[in-house]
Amino acid sequence: MDQLLAFQLGSETYGLEVTHIQEVIEAPPFYYIPRAPASLLGSINFHGSILPVLDLATFLGFGEGINDPRIIVLTHDDAQLALAVSAFAGIVSFATEDLLPCHEDQGHSACIRAVLACRGEMINLLDLDRLLGSLENL
Amino acid sequence: MRVDISYKFIVGFIVVVASIVLLNLVVPYLGIPEQWQQLFAVACAILVGLVFGWFFSKRFTSNIRVLNGTVERLSRGDLSSAVELPATFFPDETVDLAASLNRVVESLRELVSTISSSSLKVADSAQGLSATSQQMTASSHEIAKTIEQISKGAETQAEMVEKSSRLIKEMAMSIEVIAASANKVSVSASDTAETAQAGGEMSRATIAKMKQVLEKVESNGEQMAAFGTQVQKIGKIVDVITGIAGKTNLLALNATIEAARAGEYGRGFAVVAEEIRKLADSTGASAGEITELIETIRSEAQKVQQSMKESVQGIDAGREAVDNTGKAFEAIIKTALGTKAKATGIAELAQKQTEGASDMVVAIEEIARVAEDNAASTQEVSAATEQQTASMEEMAGAAQVLSELAESLLEVVKQFRLAGGKAE
Repeated sequence: MDQLLAFQLGSETYGLEVTHIQEVIEAPPFYYIPRAPASLLGSINFHGSILPVLDLATFLGFGEGINDPRIIVLTHDDAQLALAVSAFAGIVSFATEDLLPCHEDQGHSACIRAVLACRGEMINLLDLDRLLGSLENL
Repeated sequence: MRVDISYKFIVGFIVVVASIVLLNLVVPYLGIPEQWQQLFAVACAILVGLVFGWFFSKRFTSNIRVLNGTVERLSRGDLSSAVELPATFFPDETVDLAASLNRVVESLRELVSTISSSSLKVADSAQGLSATSQQMTASSHEIAKTIEQISKGAETQAEMVEKSSRLIKEMAMSIEVIAASANKVSVSASDTAETAQAGGEMSRATIAKMKQVLEKVESNGEQMAAFGTQVQKIGKIVDVITGIAGKTNLLALNATIEAARAGEYGRGFAVVAEEIRKLADSTGASAGEITELIETIRSEAQKVQQSMKESVQGIDAGREAVDNTGKAFEAIIKTALGTKAKATGIAELAQKQTEGASDMVVAIEEIARVAEDNAASTQEVSAATEQQTASMEEMAGAAQVLSELAESLLEVVKQFRLAGGKAE
């Protein structure tokens, strides 16, 4: 049994395995990064280390301008990066065999690894490797 | 050379005697025998006498005949020609007589022509007089008719005057009624004024009470505002609680994540974290409910404040209305006082009118008397006109007779023939 954190990106519900998450926090003051693209909101001071904050909704094309975002800080093993999302929906437990494959095109463009049906709602499991890969091209 | 007839006869006698004497002297020298001389002288004397006598009598009788003829013509009315005797060297009385006759004829001629022209003029005048008198008769008939109409008119006038008198008496009665009504109106107006005064005082009292109510409402509004402030403070506290719940939730999430990373060892910790998250959720939900309640209370308080504002406005409007009512009462008082004054004036005027109406009744009775007098006078005039008409008709008759007389006079004058054979 794995666990994932469900969160809102605009009207979409995404999920990320808790093993990739270092911590979730409220939005601290952002520091401005010069010449950064629009999807980078700025940088934050997280326990003494400087982390850039990616506006995931803007980056994935779900609109922009989130008020009072929540921040997901990724583990050091994955990347030195924080993700800004609209709101958290809670921790969901799931079995790997419950995951449903998603449409190929949709998976590429929206960074969805798989889809999980949970309490009458579809949770898109974030494809973190693809997201980090596309960030390399930023 | 004028010689009287008597002198002519004397001259004749003298001539005859002288011829006899002369013959007696002449005869002896004629050679006539003596015995015949006497006879001859006598014969010659007789001859001379015959010659003279014939000559004289011839002239005399011829003149007399001419005169006689002229007189004959005169007696027939012929005035056409004058008397003309044969011319002679020795005019005598016959010539005088002829001249006298001529003067008579001349006078008669003038007289007849004068009479003729005068009688013509008289005839004309008589005809004109007749026509005029006929016209006058017609006119006097018309006058009589007119006077009759006037008489009728006078009767009508008398009736109308009587009617007017009656109407004016009725009017006087109506005016008395008006005066009584005006008095009543005056009394009613003073009553109205008193009532309006009472109403004005009541409206002033109402305004005072409304002011008290307004003050209470305003203090209630202030209390409501204070209440709203308190509720907002509660809201701030609830916000703090909501923030704490959110943070707690985040902490629980992080605890869950830590527990998941710890694997099998973190299971119990995960249960605790889940419980904490649930508590935070229920705290958040309760805080949300409180916030909703506060919102509801705030909106209710706003509604109450709004309705209080409206009440205050309504009370303002009511105060204005009551003020207006007070003013209206004052206006009513003024109007009622004015009405009272006017009604009193009307009553006085009506009194004066009543007096005037009785004066008018007297005047109209005077008019009625005058109208009756007029009617009587008109009848007298009518009678006089009838008499005048009769006189006119008599005059017309007389003019007719005069005309006839002039005609007959003209007929008589026509028997005279004047120069030119015309009866002028």
